[in-house]
Amino acid sequence: MRFLLLNHIQNAKQSLKSSRVRSTLTMLGITIGVASITAILALSGGASKVITNQIDALGGNIAVIRPGITSSTVDNVTQAQPSRDYATSTLTEKDITYITNTPHIQSVAPLMVLSGVIKADSTAPEGSLIVATTPELETISGLKMREGQFLDSTVDKNTVAVGLQLSINVFGTESSIGKLLYIKGEPFTVIGVLKRINNPINYNSVDFDNAAIINFESGKSLNQNVAQIQQIDVKADSVENLEQAVNDINKTIKSSHKGEKDFSVLVGEQIAQPTSQLFFMIAKVTTAVAAISLIVGGIGIMNIMLVTVAERTREIGIRKALGASNTDISCQFLIESLAISLGGCISGYLLGYIVAIAISKFLIFYPVFTWQIALTALIVSLTTGILFGLYPALSAARKDPIESLHRYE
Amino acid sequence: MTDTTSTPVINLHDLQKRFGIGDAEIFALNGINLSIEKGEFVAIMGPSGCGKTTLLNIIGLLDQSYDGEYELDGQSVATISKRKRARIRSKQIGFVFQSFNLINRLSVIDNVALPLIYKGVTKTKRLVIASDILRNFHLNEREYYMPHQLSGGQTQRVAIARALVNDPSIILADEPTGNLDSRSSHIIMEELSDLHKRGNTIIMVTHNPRLTTYASRVITMLDGQIDTDTKTNNVNDVKSTPHIEEHKSAQSIKRKKKFFSRIKTRRRKK
Ligand SMILES: Nc1ncnc2c1ncn2[C@@H]1O[C@H](COP(=O)(O)OP(=O)(O)OP(=O)(O)O)[C@@H](O)[C@H]1O
Ligand SMILES: [Mg+2]
Repeated sequence: MRFLLLNHIQNAKQSLKSSRVRSTLTMLGITIGVASITAILALSGGASKVITNQIDALGGNIAVIRPGITSSTVDNVTQAQPSRDYATSTLTEKDITYITNTPHIQSVAPLMVLSGVIKADSTAPEGSLIVATTPELETISGLKMREGQFLDSTVDKNTVAVGLQLSINVFGTESSIGKLLYIKGEPFTVIGVLKRINNPINYNSVDFDNAAIINFESGKSLNQNVAQIQQIDVKADSVENLEQAVNDINKTIKSSHKGEKDFSVLVGEQIAQPTSQLFFMIAKVTTAVAAISLIVGGIGIMNIMLVTVAERTREIGIRKALGASNTDISCQFLIESLAISLGGCISGYLLGYIVAIAISKFLIFYPVFTWQIALTALIVSLTTGILFGLYPALSAARKDPIESLHRYE
Repeated sequence: MTDTTSTPVINLHDLQKRFGIGDAEIFALNGINLSIEKGEFVAIMGPSGCGKTTLLNIIGLLDQSYDGEYELDGQSVATISKRKRARIRSKQIGFVFQSFNLINRLSVIDNVALPLIYKGVTKTKRLVIASDILRNFHLNEREYYMPHQLSGGQTQRVAIARALVNDPSIILADEPTGNLDSRSSHIIMEELSDLHKRGNTIIMVTHNPRLTTYASRVITMLDGQIDTDTKTNNVNDVKSTPHIEEHKSAQSIKRKKKFFSRIKTRRRKK
């Protein structure tokens, strides 16, 4: 049996070589499909890694509470990001109080991202954000000040800390302490400028370089006194106590939400889901491209294999007459279609990384190389090969030897 | 099962083979009763279309749709599973097709080695065995030729080499010498005769009455039925070296074997 398999492989190699153009064209669908999957997994892996590294750098004792149920797997790239799109958040101010009172919780920072005009000497460009939060965010997210101070509960309510890029954009200078910034028409005094972070990808989904950070209360009054909480960051007093704290939070919020689990508490890798909207759009499109090209590629394989089986009808008859069993015949053709899909897999994997590396030139992270991605590519392509190669292979095995022998003679 | 001491290798009882249905129905085989013992060399003759190839296909387990009884080594073929039949074809039966049936995309040596694949022989061994047998047929210089680069006679010799490569105990040859000159024919016949002497069963279809002298039994068919069935004195133990000498003088053979004159030898249709 082993020799037979070897022979089938040699045979497939030879047969593919003899019709090289045809095989290459057939591979193309699989190639594109696998390339899309590889690229998107490599890039999303890279993005996740950036965030995971951040969390690790912050001590690993961070948890994030988001409204809605979020899938907990990192590689589920098609999962829509549940932050700013929510009409009304399921998280309330009461939840913040509960969380603050949970044992082992050191600090809590709710995040409320508002849209609105930010203006001073000039209007801030699109992509600038208004973030309402509490002073704790500074320690939880490890924000560093370049000048002045972060929000502070003791100072006046209408104060703002700005990102460096925002400061340059609206004031034309990096040092804007004491100047007035108009947010949704309201004047705020700049009390601090953040150090450049240069990292739009983080677990807060906020590009702090382009953000105006105001007090939570001020944010509420800018939003018709409604607290629209996108996310609550919490920090436990130690890594060991984080799990306990998370369980407590889960319990208390669930009971205060009348037993409904309309929120998720995320820790570690779960937080690290890629968060940029653009990224998700690209991921969706790529996944669709991958799915379509795999199906088209699979049908291509089926088509070519049916043609091959028809062309070799006489050969099938001869082989059967010389002692090949039905299994031998179907194996021969199945391995041939597997060889095509494997070829597509290899070229797609390489192409996927070329594309991912090319794309990453425009991003701030690099594609990751993991064996999981290679395995995914392999499984996806081989499954396609088997799925679409099975029918031609079986139809080859079913052929009657005598009728087959009379073909083309 | 039978009353004789040894079971025949092949036992056919009232074998019928129909093609078509209704008005178009024809009987390619119409009531064949035939029993072939192990070690016999049977030559089958008969006019074109009388059902010789059809009979060989059934004996070679390629054709399963027939009426009547076929016992191979005492076992009814109808009860043998598909897989087992493939196994028997691989291990016991060597087939020489009337139309050669080489695989065009494989080289000569790969074609010859083909039956060994299904017997589970390793590649290197396959090539050695195939190469050996090709040398027997004076084709060792054509090993890596493709079938379309061969002459008709060479193609035929390759087809025979392929049938014999598995060392089968039953050899079914459908006009193995159809395209060969008399010298090459005799080389092939010597090879078959040799196999016969080693105790293998050979069933050969031929249109050439001269070649039947190698056989131990000559059957003539007519319209799907057995017409005559003659045992020659050429049984296994009989010394039969002077064959080549005899056959070189075709005239003398014709005089000797009178019953061949009844059969019109027709060349194979292309
Ligand atoms: N697939 C088929 N469908 C219908 N009729 C068939 C088929 N195969 C063979 N026949 C018929 O069966 C009969 C016997 O054919 P067969 O091939 O056995 O002849 P043969 O004795 O081998 O002839 P030849 O010496 O020319 O090779 C012929 O009349 C032929 O037309
Ligand atoms: Mg015939």
